[in-house]
Amino acid sequence: MTKRRMFLRMVTASLLRRRSRMLIALLSIGIGATILAGMVTIYYDVPRQMRAQMRSYGANMLLMPAEGETFDSERLSAALQKLPADALVGASPYRYVRLDMTSRQQSFTTAGTDFEEVQKTSPYFSVEGRYPEAPREVLVGKAIAETIGVKEGSDMELTWQPAAKDASGSAEDDRVPGAALSGSAKGFGDAMVYVTATLDDQARIAEIQIDASTQTPEYGGRTAEDALFLKQFIGKALPLEMGNDVDALSGATVTSNAVVEALNTATAADAAKPRTTRYKVTGILVTGGEEEGYVFMSTDDLQALTGEDRLDVAELSISADEEQLNAYAAALTGDGVQARLVKRVTKSETAVLGKLQALVFLVTVVVLILTMICVSTTMMAVVSERRREIGLRKALGASDNSIRGEFLGEGMFLGLLGGVLGAVLGFVFAQVVSVNVFNSSITFQPLLLPATVLVSMLIAAASCLMPIRRAVAIDPAIVLKGE
Amino acid sequence: MALLELKNISKIYGELKALDNVSLHVDKGEWVAIMGPSGSGKSTMMNIIGCMDKPTKGEVLLDGEDISRLPGKRLTDIRRDKIGLIFQQFHMVTYLTAVENVMVSQYYHSMPDEAEALEALGRVGLRERAKHLPSQLSGGEQQRVCVARALINHPELILADEPTGNLDEANENIVLDLFRQLHREGTTLIVVTHDPEVAEAAQRTIVLEHGRVAREVVNEHFVE
Ligand SMILES: Nc1ncnc2c1ncn2[C@@H]1O[C@H](COP(=O)(O)OP(=O)(O)OP(=O)(O)O)[C@@H](O)[C@H]1O
Ligand SMILES: [Mg+2]
Repeated sequence: MTKRRMFLRMVTASLLRRRSRMLIALLSIGIGATILAGMVTIYYDVPRQMRAQMRSYGANMLLMPAEGETFDSERLSAALQKLPADALVGASPYRYVRLDMTSRQQSFTTAGTDFEEVQKTSPYFSVEGRYPEAPREVLVGKAIAETIGVKEGSDMELTWQPAAKDASGSAEDDRVPGAALSGSAKGFGDAMVYVTATLDDQARIAEIQIDASTQTPEYGGRTAEDALFLKQFIGKALPLEMGNDVDALSGATVTSNAVVEALNTATAADAAKPRTTRYKVTGILVTGGEEEGYVFMSTDDLQALTGEDRLDVAELSISADEEQLNAYAAALTGDGVQARLVKRVTKSETAVLGKLQALVFLVTVVVLILTMICVSTTMMAVVSERRREIGLRKALGASDNSIRGEFLGEGMFLGLLGGVLGAVLGFVFAQVVSVNVFNSSITFQPLLLPATVLVSMLIAAASCLMPIRRAVAIDPAIVLKGE
Repeated sequence: MALLELKNISKIYGELKALDNVSLHVDKGEWVAIMGPSGSGKSTMMNIIGCMDKPTKGEVLLDGEDISRLPGKRLTDIRRDKIGLIFQQFHMVTYLTAVENVMVSQYYHSMPDEAEALEALGRVGLRERAKHLPSQLSGGEQQRVCVARALINHPELILADEPTGNLDEANENIVLDLFRQLHREGTTLIVVTHDPEVAEAAQRTIVLEHGRVAREVVNEHFVE
């Protein structure tokens, strides 16, 4: 038998046959290692966990059109392609226009957006009622709801007034070949009838479209659909004379006259007419912020109203640290788009994470120190308990180094066992914390096992230093002292 | 030829002279008993001879080498190489088996050798109990394990401090027989005892009183 085998035999026998005492030392190392492994796992996993959590504080990046460029849904989706899919929590497009509520003589900033994405980028939005799902459903900010007195389930009519262009040209000047004309005139009950027409290469009417939605559907309203009525306009040159060039639709004389008048006064400058749509309020938005002064509708609804596919800004919520965010912002900027970090959010995220990590680090250090004290105390007790044995070993010829080696060996062996135990339990501990606190599981870091074992062994060895000094100082002569 | 020579050694603890100007000469292969009342300095003397303590005054020559002024590390070497110790309290490592306890002595001396350790246990009649822990052995058996451990490295000098103090008659005789065997093999023996019977087994008895050698008796009935 070699000396090394005898050494191992003595060390293991000491641990296995003197269980109770060693169990305490093993337990303290094991618990220390458990907390160490758990804390280290959490330390490295917390940013990932917390970042996902903190995304509830709102968007941390804005996408806007670059100087002199326009921004639309196509450019947005092209930009989003550049982000890793797992980093993007949500991206809400926003288009802001002012819409009139004629019945109340009010006008509101209305945001066209994607409600599904809004719920991801602004999870703190709270809706009394529900988010819009079907077309022509809107969300009304609480401030607006209070001033105009709408509730969940109310209807509201919103009108889009296109930006008035310079109406420099007169109707006659605009009747050029290929022109697109539009005009309006008062129909039945003073309600507006809108007409658009395109002219052919001889400046004759090639196409006509009538919007008589304000007229009685069974009478004037039919002008928009009646094929025969519409057909008589084709190929005619403006201006038209009622009864001569075209005949009124029976039962809709007032509306028919309005159509003719609208055509005769139609100009190219007035290409877009105000449009009105009736919406259903599905919920009141409560945010505590300026959003309460807005009306929200889907991008599609707003586009149908304004006829424009345009975005002003997109709010992005990305799960990444500040450095990564900066990299993403740089990557997204270009192709007519520019990206900017929402500094307020990123900064506070970074600060909170930093503090949390510092806390975990501190707790770990304290636990390690406590473990060392506990192991050291246990080993100290072990040494005094084994005074006679140590004296005997010395009397039998053990050198100081042998004594040191044996105690260190026992300590390291404890560290090894405690470390393995701790790495496994620590992972379980971290997993439990993660599931309960962050609602997500963590993956086992293979490096955790050797690292924890190594640290436990070092701690065990360090804890043995004082007890070993005691052991070495024991006088072999005590074995001859009668007791 | 002298294996051990104490020259006017004293061990003083403050006011107390545990050993007072003691001289002693022990030849190679000699068997010496040391007697004396409690507190007369017997264990103190054994500690000094066993390289576990140093005298306050005087010289200790072991194999012609003065060990009284050597540093602790050298004393450990000498103790390990030349001396086998047997104590009144059968000091065994509690968590090691009988054979492992014998092997501990080999381990510090040179190389652990289980076969040799078992053979030594056989010599003290404990071959069958080799795998037993001290708690499973009687006092007499434990003392025999200690004898096996003391002789395993073939020391020139065996020091025994009250080796039979806690043993019954039968076990005392077993141990004395082992000493006789060792003596025949040429091992030098110094045995501290209160028991005149044990002392009579030796060739010569030194009687200590108040740290001094009071008298010396040669055993005329000694049988080789
Ligand atoms: N470390 C010490 N410090 C102070 N006094 C000591 C020390 N060791 C021994 N003595 C004293 O020295 C004297 C001799 O002690 P020693 O142990 O040698 O006696 P002994 O002859 O072996 O007695 P016993 O037969 O009871 O074992 C005693 O009075 C004892 O109290
Ligand atoms: Mg004594």
